[in-house]
Amino acid sequence: MLNRRTFLATSAASLILPVAARAADWPAIEAEARGQTVYFNAWAGSDTINAYIAWAAGEAKARHGITVEHVKITDTAEVVKRVRDEVAAGKQDGSVDLVWINGENFRTMKTEKLLFGPFSESLPNYALVDVAGKPTTRQDFAESVDGLEAPWGMAQLTFFADGAKVAQPPRSMADLIVFAKEHPGRVTYPAPPDFHGTTFLKQVLLETAPDVAQLAKAADGMAITPAWQAMLDDLHPHLWREGKQFPKSQADITNMVADGELLIGLTFNPNEPANLVAAGTMPATTIAWQHAKGTIGNTHFVAIPVNAKARAAAQVFANFLLSPEAQARKNDIKVWGDPTVLAVEKLPAELQAAFTGSAAPGSVSLPGPTLLEPHASWVPLLEKDWLSRYGKG
Amino acid sequence: MRVLAALPLVLVFLLPLAASLLFVLPDAVNAGALRELVAHPQFSGALRLSLFTGLASTALSLLAALAITFAAGGRNLAGRAGVFLAVPHLSLAIGLAFLIMPTGVVARLFALLAGWNAPPQWVTTQDPWGFSLIVALVLKETPFLVWAFASLLNRDDLRRQFEGQQAVARSLGHGPASTFLRILLPQLLPRAAGPLIAVLAYGLTVVDMALVIGPTQPPVLAQLVWTDINDADPAVSARGGAGVVVLGLVVALVVAASALAAVMFKKVRQRFYGAAPRPGRGMPRGLAALWPAFLAIYAAAVLIMIVQSLSGHWPFPQRLPDVVTWKAWSHLAADPAPLLTSLALALASAAAALAACVAWLEWTPARADRVLAPAAVLVLCLPALLLALGEYRLFLALGVTGSAAALFLAHLLPVTAYVFLLLAGPYRAFDPRWQATAHGLRARRLPFLLRIKWPMLKAPLLSAAAIGFAVSVVQFVPAQLAAAGRFATLPMEAVTLSSGGNRALIATYGLALMALPLAGFLLASRLSRPRWSTP
Amino acid sequence: MLSLQDIAISMADGTPLITAVSLEAAAGETVTLMGPSGSGKSSLLSFIGGDLTSAMTATGRVTLNGKDILHLPPERRRIARLFQDDLLFPHMTVAENLLFAVPMAPQAERHAKMQQALADAGLEGFANRPPHTLSGGQRARVALLRALLAEPQALLLDEPFSKLDRDLRATIRAFTFDHIRARAIPALLVTHDREDVPAGGRVLEITARGEIRHV
Repeated sequence: MLNRRTFLATSAASLILPVAARAADWPAIEAEARGQTVYFNAWAGSDTINAYIAWAAGEAKARHGITVEHVKITDTAEVVKRVRDEVAAGKQDGSVDLVWINGENFRTMKTEKLLFGPFSESLPNYALVDVAGKPTTRQDFAESVDGLEAPWGMAQLTFFADGAKVAQPPRSMADLIVFAKEHPGRVTYPAPPDFHGTTFLKQVLLETAPDVAQLAKAADGMAITPAWQAMLDDLHPHLWREGKQFPKSQADITNMVADGELLIGLTFNPNEPANLVAAGTMPATTIAWQHAKGTIGNTHFVAIPVNAKARAAAQVFANFLLSPEAQARKNDIKVWGDPTVLAVEKLPAELQAAFTGSAAPGSVSLPGPTLLEPHASWVPLLEKDWLSRYGKG
Repeated sequence: MRVLAALPLVLVFLLPLAASLLFVLPDAVNAGALRELVAHPQFSGALRLSLFTGLASTALSLLAALAITFAAGGRNLAGRAGVFLAVPHLSLAIGLAFLIMPTGVVARLFALLAGWNAPPQWVTTQDPWGFSLIVALVLKETPFLVWAFASLLNRDDLRRQFEGQQAVARSLGHGPASTFLRILLPQLLPRAAGPLIAVLAYGLTVVDMALVIGPTQPPVLAQLVWTDINDADPAVSARGGAGVVVLGLVVALVVAASALAAVMFKKVRQRFYGAAPRPGRGMPRGLAALWPAFLAIYAAAVLIMIVQSLSGHWPFPQRLPDVVTWKAWSHLAADPAPLLTSLALALASAAAALAACVAWLEWTPARADRVLAPAAVLVLCLPALLLALGEYRLFLALGVTGSAAALFLAHLLPVTAYVFLLLAGPYRAFDPRWQATAHGLRARRLPFLLRIKWPMLKAPLLSAAAIGFAVSVVQFVPAQLAAAGRFATLPMEAVTLSSGGNRALIATYGLALMALPLAGFLLASRLSRPRWSTP
Repeated sequence: MLSLQDIAISMADGTPLITAVSLEAAAGETVTLMGPSGSGKSSLLSFIGGDLTSAMTATGRVTLNGKDILHLPPERRRIARLFQDDLLFPHMTVAENLLFAVPMAPQAERHAKMQQALADAGLEGFANRPPHTLSGGQRARVALLRALLAEPQALLLDEPFSKLDRDLRATIRAFTFDHIRARAIPALLVTHDREDVPAGGRVLEITARGEIRHV
């Protein structure tokens, strides 16, 4: 782990110079952007996130004279398909200018050459990104970013529960099985291909793999390990509905935890439990934790499709989203609570202050290290095996 | 004049429909994708579930609707059933889920009585057999069928025939049940084939209700296909495309099988029709309670949605929420654009569809309907997904995705199908002697239409418009695909927000989604009130 | 014998339609009711038959062969009716229409009755025809036979000849009255046409004020 980090940090540092050099034509881009409209396609399931995007859109109008329209979507795959179809149909003035993206969707768009760029590393605010401390800002699910998407926020698989009901949180998958056996029917995870469900399966994979290094490489010709299957076989009979039905989404699980139907919830945003306490959805006794040996972490990004109409304005808006002010506001638990991608300790002191919120109830009290995502090619393998073993009810 | 009058429907309905279907045709012949679909581990389970939920819900809805119609004994239920029609499928599923889920109202009542602290591990929503989905479908489709039957039974020409026939049957010694089964039913069902096929097709291809309340492992076929279609991987997406075609085939096969069953019935016909008179006993008491029971469940579902829309944190097993807040409603008020867009779109598409259909019905001969009616039935029976996908590809080829025109046209298609099917019957049945009389009084065409025909057809015209309006309001897929999500509409907002799981917001948008069609229906029924009631 | 005593019928708003009608029809007798349109003749038949619209209210007593029938549902009154329209059920064959009326009995017996009725009407071979393929006169005869197959104890005729053309009327009239006499059941006939009155039959007129007048 440490080795990889150091390696990435040194290689990242060597790239900073050319980035600064390329930003010279930025004023021209800003001038071109003025008056353009950015159709920002972003998942819109969360009221707080929508409100944040609305705030950012207002700022972009006031500061840069660009209009940002939030195109509300339920699944980023819709956007991937739309851009692909439009490009195939030869539509140059595409309907998408900026998309909230990462992981598989990014890999798809990158390999199919559906993305504009490289652009992200020439954004002025990119210099503030913590590429050394947060290697996932340059490696999106083991896929090299190559400047085709600009980092926006950080995520790490986090579990939460009402501390009044769960005194000893299970801090590994093996412990979770023990917990499920003690509390039958009160633990579950969303069915894949839901994003969080797939992540849960990948976490099991990481905790059962004999050789974790294998997982960073493409899964070509590899098979799912029997240990993965054995662990799920062990867990499933004790899950909600005996592992025969699964909730649709992480949001459903959160509701069920708040109701008391389930005991443990999961999220990709480490600050979400605190956010839920602040919103009154979860009680003040809420605790959040990560597995002792680490949980999967990643970065989410914004990218510009190759046929975007307002490329200049999309870059200006992406740059604004990276600004310390926008990142600090996003980091605020009362606003959204999405962890920053910036290297806070390198910011001027007065800006640093905006990021240091006091520990709120529901904050992660038992943190674990960040584990890198397995290579994206493992996902179809996991999903297929899961479906044929557990998908028939 | 004839060609001119037919043109609007050809341009906004027949051409786009035909073109859309042509554009999804390649999916049908994609053998590789089809093989992939059949090899999907959940395919056979999903298909079984779809057949079971679709057939069971249709059969139960039909039985319930017939029982209600019979129990009404000639009272006109069309007006009352219209109110139920205004409730969108999605809203009903949301409200029903709030009632029966393990932390829902029913469970809280039990908890109160039994002193539970934790929610029960009930298998109510998402049950693996699809029972809760069937319940939701039956709740929604029964009033629709009641309404369809009531509209037929109260059509002037049919009502007089049926009343006389029933009087004769009774005088020959047949009781009310025998009269209903042997005289009314066999004449009613063939005339209600359209609505029945629509119910069957909807039950076999439902996505929105299944997402809220249906089983997940495996899900129903339509939901499996929906997930595939939305996948970014072209191979998976192609599998979804093949799935949509398979879904269409399933509908066609089931409809054909039902038609065949009706033909087979011929063999036992004489025994059934020629049965000896049997006075029979009175109506079973439970039957009269069926219709009020539906009303009560709807009322409960709406009530719990209102409560949820105002609730903050509401832990189990508390009777009342901890926090009461207007937050969700102020969210709706803060951004009225989706509401206004949906309203404008619904008004425009209902008005345009009505105008186009009236032009067609007034100036083309009745035999022209032989082209249009099957096309309209097709729109109702095809999986909504198939049509939306075809439209999307058509608009893509024309380069108009994401435009207001694409959005409007995508809404117009289903709206027109409903308006036409609802209007054609009563409009064509209009007694030609009125026209002869008016011409005899030296009235020309336009004054005759404006002052005689259309006022006399006020009720069917307005109710077709109200249904068209309601159909437009709930369209989700076209707004997402054809208009590239660029225009926020109410269902778009509701569906995207529901992925975040905020129950207050989900309830609020579910209610808002219901409010528009309801207002439309109330307005239509108010306006279509006759000048005076005739005995 | 069909006997009406002090029948009064009024509209929903209380307007009286028929004020005090009493009459008797003996077995095999056809009593004719005449009167201006809207005088309530058809309403009176509906009241006797048991399907007066709920918007109207009625009082009085009706007995058939000495038994009170008003409390009975229409299907138990054993009073068959004929209307202006033949009202053959359009979705049933001629045979099915007739069988529909034949009372409970072994199947073979019921079929024999149906065949006999067809023979009476000279309609052998029409059993499996749909009603709309029959001529007006044939349909009228099937409608009467159907009513008689139910073995009624009285018959109510509501202008049953008015839609037939002139040539046919005499034949159907004779056919109808012959059958009524043969069955020896009482019948009430409502009509506008004096020619419909059977020879020597009694005629009563309902006046505009809703009273009855012997002619």
